[in-house]
Amino acid sequence: MLEAFDLPFMQRALVAVLLLSVAGGLLGAWVVLRRLAFFSHAVGTATFPGLVVAAPWGIAAPLAALGSALLFTAGLTRLIRDPRLGPDGATGLLVVAALALGALLASDVYPAGTGVDQLLFGTLLGLDDADLWLAAAVAAGALVLTLALGRTWLATGFEPQTARTLGVSRARGDWALLAGLAVAVVAMLPAVGALLAATLLVVPAATVRLVARSVPQLLAGSVLLGATEGVVALWFAYELDLPPGPVLALLSGVIFGVVALGQAAAARRPVPVP
Amino acid sequence: MSEVLIEAVGLSTGYAPGEPALRGVTFAANAGQIVAVLGPNGGGKTTLMRALLGELPPFEGRVDVHGEIAYVPQTEQARLDFPVSALDVALMGAYRRTPWWKRLGRAEHDRALQALDRVGLRERAKDRFGTLSGGQRQRVLIARALVQDAPILLLDEPFSGVDRASEATILGLLGQLRAQGHALLICTHDIEQGRGFDRVLGVHGEQTFFGPGAALDAAALERTYGSEIVTLGEGAAIAVQCHHHDHEHDQHG
Amino acid sequence: MTELVTDPLLRRALLEVVILGLACGPLGVWVLHERRAFAAESLSHAMLPGLVVASLAGAPLLLGAVGGIVLAAVLVAVAARDARVGGDTAVAVVVTALFGLGVVLALRPDVPARLAEILFGDPLGATAGDIAVAALLCGAVLVALALGGRSLRLAAFDPQAAPSLGTKPGRVGIALLVVLAITIAAAAQGLGSLLLVALLLAPAAAAIRASDRLGTQLRLAAALGAGCAVVGLEVSRSLDVAAGPAIALAACVAYVVVALVRPGERGPGLRRAPIDGLTGSR
Ligand SMILES: Nc1ncnc2c1ncn2[C@@H]1O[C@H](COP(=O)(O)OP(=O)(O)OP(=O)(O)O)[C@@H](O)[C@H]1O
Ligand SMILES: [Mg+2]
Repeated sequence: MLEAFDLPFMQRALVAVLLLSVAGGLLGAWVVLRRLAFFSHAVGTATFPGLVVAAPWGIAAPLAALGSALLFTAGLTRLIRDPRLGPDGATGLLVVAALALGALLASDVYPAGTGVDQLLFGTLLGLDDADLWLAAAVAAGALVLTLALGRTWLATGFEPQTARTLGVSRARGDWALLAGLAVAVVAMLPAVGALLAATLLVVPAATVRLVARSVPQLLAGSVLLGATEGVVALWFAYELDLPPGPVLALLSGVIFGVVALGQAAAARRPVPVP
Repeated sequence: MSEVLIEAVGLSTGYAPGEPALRGVTFAANAGQIVAVLGPNGGGKTTLMRALLGELPPFEGRVDVHGEIAYVPQTEQARLDFPVSALDVALMGAYRRTPWWKRLGRAEHDRALQALDRVGLRERAKDRFGTLSGGQRQRVLIARALVQDAPILLLDEPFSGVDRASEATILGLLGQLRAQGHALLICTHDIEQGRGFDRVLGVHGEQTFFGPGAALDAAALERTYGSEIVTLGEGAAIAVQCHHHDHEHDQHG
Repeated sequence: MTELVTDPLLRRALLEVVILGLACGPLGVWVLHERRAFAAESLSHAMLPGLVVASLAGAPLLLGAVGGIVLAAVLVAVAARDARVGGDTAVAVVVTALFGLGVVLALRPDVPARLAEILFGDPLGATAGDIAVAALLCGAVLVALALGGRSLRLAAFDPQAAPSLGTKPGRVGIALLVVLAITIAAAAQGLGSLLLVALLLAPAAAAIRASDRLGTQLRLAAALGAGCAVVGLEVSRSLDVAAGPAIALAACVAYVVVALVRPGERGPGLRRAPIDGLTGSR
């Protein structure tokens, strides 16, 4: 039944999915807790102009994407200083600007570029060694960041006002989280593309969030669920001859829905009075 | 036992350059002292706390802090949906002294449980913070400050939403901290309570009074609260103001 | 400049984009006040399963798009009710799942190509039918916003007290998302969702930056939306660059201009960390 995983390209995909679900689960827990889902999506989308100019300027695609993503992050942290715009308004505005810039470059300046496809739809089945090494590095980085900064992120996310008096550095923690997310999303692009990066980063953590009772549970659960969903989706995709990314997206969305419905039903059930 | 732990000299601060929200503050809190901060809504009590914490820059003058500060904020902005228990929140008080590669050990857990016990919430330790009542949450935040064990404690209206019995318990606790040599700053709207502490600092856009509670006379009260004050003879007075708590940053998150 | 009016191709594009700009501006102001920018930016991807089902069943694509995206909007609103999930996580979960469903349903790898088309459509392809749809849509959106203005105001400002004042914020949230969804479905096919998102967010952001009064913001956003359409098209014509991105960039430039003219309120001078500003969404 599992002979699918005897094939070398499936084994690579398996390794990639496992590595990315470590990074996705650990960082995703913080994405969900600190409401950074839009940022995670936007930072992936904002790699577009970078990918368009990568080939004509002779830069490696992941580097160009990363440059774009980090520029976006830095720009965003300036733009959100306008309190009227609101955090998501600022994110939306900047992502529109990045997309428009990318589209203009792609259609009029470097029409040969294939940035769009690369950006929108990665594929787990066509990864090269560099992609796997990047995924491994990102998984290790996410682990180190979570160990080193977990308390900072927890205290800041729970209540920013007093975080500093508790001895944690908000600014350092926040910059590290945003930069870590940017790198992680860039590492996910070749595998699932910008549209579906959320399936690795947000959806497993959001599902576990519904049942986890503590932050360590949330972290461990997100990694486990993400890895399980990834492996199952790969197998399904192979058996049904479908692209794995969308299958993973659908599968994890359905699991989220089932858990959410179960929770809602449990909440409606009358509590027995002793 | 009377070294100065926190002081401000000619401090003027605010939220936009050139528009100070609070001017001319000069006071000191010694080890083993409780300083009450009195003032009307918008008088600048919270602003003062923020300046002492270093979150607002001084436009003029300076702030001197000798030691670590623990802070119990006024409008609690905690995320109620966070998966943290009362114990987890109290444990945050131990973050500063625990290096990141070390776990928060047995001793810290015991300390946090003990602090929760002191605010009367030992049996709620495992409950999620967001499921506690408003007053109970306030008490958990006080417990966190206790765990922190900082020489300086800033409490911004710590009794708002806290019932009388718990208020008495917490006041007793704060008295113990004072006896142990901590310096405490407590913002309050209860003039009589404030008068009972070691020093009183009045603010209304600027400093209106600083001295022992006994010296807080009708004139000082009028400077602090304006004419909306009713003198009850014998120097006792109450401010007739709505003590509603404006939720300044009521963000939904 | 006159070619915008004399050239029939450009004239139709101009008409369509101006009409949409008029509707998207004020809608965008509410989208921003209700913190729904993520939904505005992403819901268009959730049209895919609707489109696939419609094309398999031989139904009009517009019907499928509207059906799919309205379903997505309702799912987002329902999922977002759980405080632990929140609005932005809900969008991420629902949109990716529906997008995945679309690809899986299609059982064909070439469907995503159509999605890229939706993402970067071309306003110069506007037909008389597109313009009629846009005009109808514009009228409906403006009427809906006018009728719902008071409820929107209450729900955005004080959702906790809103029920006691006679407004259910949950329903207002769903209604706004549904209006947004219909707008996206009807307009994004021809225009491309990028241009549509730009028309929704950028003029509204500029208007919110320019004025502190809600009424002024709404009117200004409509004017800016239409204005950016004209400027963008003219730039695209005279520099011979793609029309969609040109209009989108013109709208972003409008925000920058307003921000330069009115540096305004710099937020409280409190020391802030980068994410402080990023975590406010509902
Ligand atoms: N974040 C802010 N941005 C700009 N101005 C502010 C901010 N917070 C407070 N202010 C202004 O500073 C002044 C002092 O406010 P502060 O919060 O210090 O009052 P307070 O004495 O704590 O009042 P209360 O009794 O209501 O808590 C007020 O005029 C207020 O409008
Ligand atoms: Mg205050």
